[in-house]
Amino acid sequence: MNRFRLSERGAERLSISVLLAPAVAVIVLLFLGGLASGFLRSLNYFPLIGLNDFNFDAYFAIFTDNGFLQSLVLTFHIAFTSTLIASILAVASALLLRPAFRGKRIVHFFFSLNLTIPHLVGAIGVLYLFQNSGLVSRIMTGLDLIQRPADFPAMVFDPWAIGIIIQYVWKEIPFIGVIVLAILLSVGEDYESVARSLGANRWQAFRQVTLPLIMPGVVSASVIVFAFTFGAFEIPYLLGRTFPAALPVLAYQSYTDVDLAARPQAMAMAMVIAFISTLLIMAYMKLSRVYIRE
Amino acid sequence: MTQVTLSGLTKIFDQKSPPAVDNLDLEIESGKLTALLGPSGCGKTTTMKMIAGLLRPTAGDILFDGDSILSIKPEERGAVMVFQNYLLFPYMNIADNIGFGLKMRKVNKKEIRSRVEDMLDLVQLPGFEDRKPNQLSGGQQQRIALARALIVQPNVLLLDEPLSNLDAHLRDEMRVLIRRIQTEMGITTVFVTHDQEEAVVLADKVALLFDGRLQQFDAPDSFYDTPNTVDIATFFGGTNFIPGRYESGEMTTAIGKFRAPHSLVPEGDAVLSIRPEAVDLGEGGENSVSGTVLSHVYAGRYARFQIRIGNIEIEAVTEPGQVKLFADGDNIPVRFDPDKIWVLGPNAAEQPAGATTA
Ligand SMILES: Nc1ncnc2c1ncn2[C@@H]1O[C@H](COP(=O)(O)OP(=O)(O)O)[C@@H](O)[C@H]1O
Ligand SMILES: [Mg+2]
Repeated sequence: MNRFRLSERGAERLSISVLLAPAVAVIVLLFLGGLASGFLRSLNYFPLIGLNDFNFDAYFAIFTDNGFLQSLVLTFHIAFTSTLIASILAVASALLLRPAFRGKRIVHFFFSLNLTIPHLVGAIGVLYLFQNSGLVSRIMTGLDLIQRPADFPAMVFDPWAIGIIIQYVWKEIPFIGVIVLAILLSVGEDYESVARSLGANRWQAFRQVTLPLIMPGVVSASVIVFAFTFGAFEIPYLLGRTFPAALPVLAYQSYTDVDLAARPQAMAMAMVIAFISTLLIMAYMKLSRVYIRE
Repeated sequence: MTQVTLSGLTKIFDQKSPPAVDNLDLEIESGKLTALLGPSGCGKTTTMKMIAGLLRPTAGDILFDGDSILSIKPEERGAVMVFQNYLLFPYMNIADNIGFGLKMRKVNKKEIRSRVEDMLDLVQLPGFEDRKPNQLSGGQQQRIALARALIVQPNVLLLDEPLSNLDAHLRDEMRVLIRRIQTEMGITTVFVTHDQEEAVVLADKVALLFDGRLQQFDAPDSFYDTPNTVDIATFFGGTNFIPGRYESGEMTTAIGKFRAPHSLVPEGDAVLSIRPEAVDLGEGGENSVSGTVLSHVYAGRYARFQIRIGNIEIEAVTEPGQVKLFADGDNIPVRFDPDKIWVLGPNAAEQPAGATTA
């Protein structure tokens, strides 16, 4: 009768929107607001410290700065290497954890336990174990494998970021592993059985059948890990060198620089990190959509 | 071709539950189609997986042409299993699915392509090379799964309920196709099913399994005419049972004496079984008693009557025309053809396990 009256579904939709509004507002304000203000600042617009004219100077500065480029390469190295190693080891662990065996629940519990341990704790653990004066080097000295603790190869504050990678690998194996294990269990072993019965040996069955089946899941999980390790601050801050530092650390250094003019550059770096992470998240969503369609 | 022998084959998954397959002895004839029949959960798939080498038996042996193959890897046994749910590799097209086994054997691409084409012709899906499994119907996927198995020219073909996910019309078509291919190629084939009709229609010989144990291994008609136990007769359905005592070729029951020359037991407590089709209505004389028509159903090609004799109810299936002769409530003579009566032991427990009849 009344054409202005809301249909039942419309009303339902409206009430859902109203209920979601506070949460959405917080996300929009904090996230998009932060992003927008960061973006403005990276364009040299920051009235509070007397910057008023828009320009691309900060971007120009960082992309011509050798230090920034070194940081970018280092950050890619950290993210790529730790993601790759963690993915391979995660797939291997998931395969080991798949069959039924005695005590599987306990093993599984310990496997996923460090999902709950903060990254910071892991970083402290890496320091404690792998510093030149750390436990591992002292044990190796004790076993006469090396002469002095100082002979232990640098694994923390080192140019190859080994300590950082160890920490990430340790932390991300169970993250990827739990996802892969869930996929393995839901796919079941029958596809491999078919392959074996058709003449594939163990390796062929894994390579030709199991791996393609779990690959979309592995890739999705890896992209998340990559995006995280690319943008995370605390681990490279604690375990990395100061020069070249990982991008998030460099951005932080610039932001806290006494020279206020470095602020737009810090923001520009943050924008680069956000841009790359966004690209990766989009890739992730696309991949998972393809996966779901199949 | 290959003769498959199962000898004391046993699979125990966990100690707390009874064996999934229990001391199974079976002689699967070379080049024949043998059905492995039994209700869901009786160990059919487990048996197939052990033959294919996908599961390790807890005890017993599997022989191909007299040689134990337990130590031979699944990929080298030449026993190919086709699973109930097809399991085509979802990310491969149809040609790659069918050619999989040849690719594993490092056959060259050109030969694979031509043999894939032959296989698609054989399963009557020519031109399907480039499609993806999810673009195919269930029946088509099943054919592709069959083609993928046949292309490697298996010594033993293991089909696990290949028809149970198909609708009735497709099932008939696939039955014919499977039987034709099997006969043409002469592959030793084990066909798993829980449908007794499917088993008797398709198979040269049927092995019936209950709870992991072999109940009877026989030609299909024996399961109807001379079942080993009441349970088996019940599984095949529709039989009338009348308990009593068997002595010198005669069954004495609560509703009278019947001459019964065919018996599994020599004498003592026994059960007379007679199929509804063998009950003659309106015929007196030897082996006949008087009964009352309780109800009847006209089913087009036949008629079905419920008859009460004394305090026992039996079923009779007759020519459709007989509905005109007898009305509900009529008292009529009912005759059991002596040649079609089969006398069995009183219960399953007293039957020798795995007993067979000629
Ligand atoms: N992997 C397994 N682990 C434990 N029990 C199993 C496993 N596979 C099958 N079973 C059990 O073994 C019995 C036989 O199963 P199965 O061979 O699949 O029966 P069918 O194919 O005749 O339906 C069932 O009770 C089933 O629960
Ligand atoms: Mg089964």
